[in-house]
Order: sequence, then structure tokens, then C-alpha cells
Amino acid sequence: MKFFLRTVVLLGLAAAVVGFFCYRMGSDKALHAAATKRDTMEWLRTDFHLSEAQFAAVKKLHAEYAPSCEEHCRHIQSARKALAAAGATDATALASAGQKLQELRSSCELAMTRHVRQVAAVMSPEDGRRYLEMVFPKIANFDHTVAPDLHFDQAR
Amino acid sequence: MKTSRDFLSEVLRHWRVTPPADPNFRGAVWQRIDACVRETWPGYLRSHAVAWALVAVSTVGAAAYAGNAAARARIHADREALVTTYLVELDPRVQALLKP
Repeated sequence: MKFFLRTVVLLGLAAAVVGFFCYRMGSDKALHAAATKRDTMEWLRTDFHLSEAQFAAVKKLHAEYAPSCEEHCRHIQSARKALAAAGATDATALASAGQKLQELRSSCELAMTRHVRQVAAVMSPEDGRRYLEMVFPKIANFDHTVAPDLHFDQAR
Repeated sequence: MKTSRDFLSEVLRHWRVTPPADPNFRGAVWQRIDACVRETWPGYLRSHAVAWALVAVSTVGAAAYAGNAAARARIHADREALVTTYLVELDPRVQALLKP
């Protein structure tokens, strides 16, 4: 019985060591560090194996995109305010404001899609495809009527 | 009148067992006690090698699989969180909802 228990304890320790080793070997420290810091640029650099030149090009694309994102954001906020101001009484104004907001959102989605395609084009074909596979469904599934809850694909 | 039960009781009362004495009995008992006391862990493992080898392989294999699966799950969760953060930064529709 003494030897049986001793063997069970030894095997348990060996299993714990092997499990921990496999966990450490299988985990991606750079990705985890980027996630902890919420550093999306670092994520793009490490997860999509960007060279220095590719990384610089992606940063440039993002810098170029940022002002148009800001502008779109302002337009959407104005359109939302106009929609709220139209109220429920003036049906024509309400429909017009709603239509304007919808057009702005479509235009935003188009601009963002164009931007992510440009970013993907900078990456290697394989990484670019993987990048688009990750971001496109979340862009397409975004529900405009609710605040983001960090799970876009589940937002309803 | 005697019944068969009475007869059986009578037989059992007079029944005596006289087994032949085993001169090695005491020695054999001590020999087995000595063997138990002297058994070593490696000796125990050798005598149960097949069973313990199977247990070891399956336990370590399961631990390796579990460790790897946990690592993959963490990678997936990290990536999901990063994609979401990335799109929050990138999407004017979200920014319009977040900004006052």
C-alpha cells in the first residue's frame, strides 16, 4: 500500500510537470502580453509576423485612416442627434434622419472594409487572409443599435 | 427415535482432525514476512511494471493534452479580446456610441 501511494503521488507530480510544460510551450507569450496591455499594434506585429517595413506601412495606414474615422464618428453622432431631434411626430423628418444615419453607417463600414483590406495587402498572403477572416465577420455582425459589449459577434 | 439431525450432531461431536504437522510451516511464514519487509519500491514497480506503465502513459498523455488545450484556449481568448479592442478603435460606429 505504501508503494502504491508513493507511485500515485510520483505520477501525479510527473503529470503536473508535463501539463505545465506543455501549457508553457503551447502558449504565445507575445500575444498574451499584447492582450494584457491592449496593444493592438503589437498584436498585429507579432500575430501576423510583420517585418519592420510591413509594420511601418501598417502604422502609416492606421495613421491615415484615423482622421477619416474621427470624421465619420462625428457625422454619425450628428445624425443620431438629428434623429433624436426629429422626434416621433414628424414622420418625414424622422425617415430622412434615419435614412441619413443608415447611409453614414454603410459608408463607415465601406471605409473600414477598404482600410482592413489595405492592411491585409501589406501582410503576407497567408497572414492577410487570416487577418481578414478574423476581422470581417466582426465588422459585418456589428449591431448598430446596442453599445459594444466586447463580443461583437454575439451582439443582438 | 433419533433424527438425522441428532445423528449429525453426534458425529460432529466425536469428529477429531489430526492433520500431519508441517515442519516448514513456521519457517515459511517468517520467510514471507521477511520478503514483505525487504521489498523495495523498484522491486514493487518491477513486479507491477505493465499496469503502472499503462497508468503512467495515459496519465502523462492526458496531462500533456490538457496543458496544450489550456494554452490554445488562452491564445484564442487573447486573440478574441485583441480583435475586439482593435475594431473598437477602428470602427466609427462604435466610437460614435462610446464618445459623449
